[in-house]
Amino acid sequence: MPKHATPLLDQLESGPWPSFVSDMKRQAEKKPEVWDILGQLELSYHDRITHWKHGGIVGVFGYGGGIVGRYSDVPKQFPGVEHFHTIRVNQPSSKYYSTENLRAICNLWEKWGSGMTNMHGSTGDIILLGTKTENLEPFFWDLTHELGQDLGGSGSNLRSPACCLGQSRCEWACYDTQEACHQLTVKYQDELHRPAFPYKFKFKFSGCPNDCVAAIARSDFAVIGTWKDDIRIDQAAVKEYIAGNYPSNGGAHSGRDWGKFDIKKEVIDLCPTQCMWMEGGELKIDNSECTRCMHCINVMPRALRPGKEMGATVCMGAKAPILEGAQFATLIIPFVKVTKENEFQDLVDLIEKAWDWWMEVGKNRERIGEAMQRVGLPAFLEIMDVKPMPQHVREPRSNPYVFWKEEEVEGGWERDIKEFRRRHAM
Amino acid sequence: MAMSTEDLKAAILDKALKSPKAQLYIKDFYACDPDSSPRAIKNAANEMVREGKLTFWSSGSTTMYAAKGRAKNEEGDQGVN
Repeated sequence: MPKHATPLLDQLESGPWPSFVSDMKRQAEKKPEVWDILGQLELSYHDRITHWKHGGIVGVFGYGGGIVGRYSDVPKQFPGVEHFHTIRVNQPSSKYYSTENLRAICNLWEKWGSGMTNMHGSTGDIILLGTKTENLEPFFWDLTHELGQDLGGSGSNLRSPACCLGQSRCEWACYDTQEACHQLTVKYQDELHRPAFPYKFKFKFSGCPNDCVAAIARSDFAVIGTWKDDIRIDQAAVKEYIAGNYPSNGGAHSGRDWGKFDIKKEVIDLCPTQCMWMEGGELKIDNSECTRCMHCINVMPRALRPGKEMGATVCMGAKAPILEGAQFATLIIPFVKVTKENEFQDLVDLIEKAWDWWMEVGKNRERIGEAMQRVGLPAFLEIMDVKPMPQHVREPRSNPYVFWKEEEVEGGWERDIKEFRRRHAM
Repeated sequence: MAMSTEDLKAAILDKALKSPKAQLYIKDFYACDPDSSPRAIKNAANEMVREGKLTFWSSGSTTMYAAKGRAKNEEGDQGVN
């Protein structure tokens, strides 16, 4: 029996799509506190303001992350959600589960929490919604001891690293994203569980430039697979695509008749750097102009593959729009070998150099991307011991003024300009 | 020369107890010893949480530190991504 009248929420059930309201009503039959969530949500819709307060000192002993305190600001009206804390559980790499594991997580959450989940949060964690303060420690004990799983990151911590499916399922993965994600998660347990930074910090690992975990848009440290040599071309397969014998895009758009495949219209003319052409019935690519957009490979996966010399590009500084607007990551290292043979040392060196600097100069609640923006790319490259190179140039310079350092100018700032002009006419 | 860990912890506790603000960012403790690295200060503060002298206060997106008993228990901000 509904505990509160919820006419505004009920209206959300009237559409043809599945409704979270129906799910919550079903769950409320087992967990009566869920009626109070529905009641509070109805009140929020009516008042047009949230009735949640969040933040606080809740957590499990020794951990400074993984739990977000949440409280009702109308607890007398909705006592079932007086405390309604959120728990973040670190997801397995690439989010592979067995059904047995999923059932175990759900059963654990039925035991200690509301039973409501959010699979997954935007960083990738399994989000378990709603429990009381006194349930946190017993839940954490069971999670770690029975399921062998751990909390994810929150607050000014390293957040749960995330990766794409990588080489487990994808032929384009240029490195083992799962291995990199797992090894760095293990290496940085302290940073993941205890606050270390001015603000949050995220790693994401994508195996190719398709960037299926959106690393370039959502992580402070994006490791995106790429290759150095030429795209591998199977000319016989190109002919099969042209003849219409192979479906383009792996058949992904086959639900509708798009007409005969046209390699010029659908591939060559869409190349952002115009580096492809047909010659003597063969597809040619000027690989020095290729920007690894992946479009041609996506359209003709049986004919084109990434090159053999594989590694990753490291971009840094992406973030969502909380302060100063959203920003994409900036390319810092065009190519780095990513291998477990040296325990991902090349990545570790970069990460720790960036952290040391950011911990020192980062302002409170300033993401590393904002700190980079504040000091400028040339200064940041110097901090990272990276020499500026053409790949760092986003676009040709429109401002003709170039700023040099004093030591780079013959005679420095104090030189005798009259003497200089005597020898160098204007 | 950087302070010893014990001296550093004492300076951090002093700051946490006497600061007009109950909750402090980790950066607020850097001034306790300018010669200690941010990492050393972070490690000392986190150790003090395990010892029960400090407590974490988290908004969900940011974490602050407070002397035991000084932190307020709710409200703040929460970010995304």
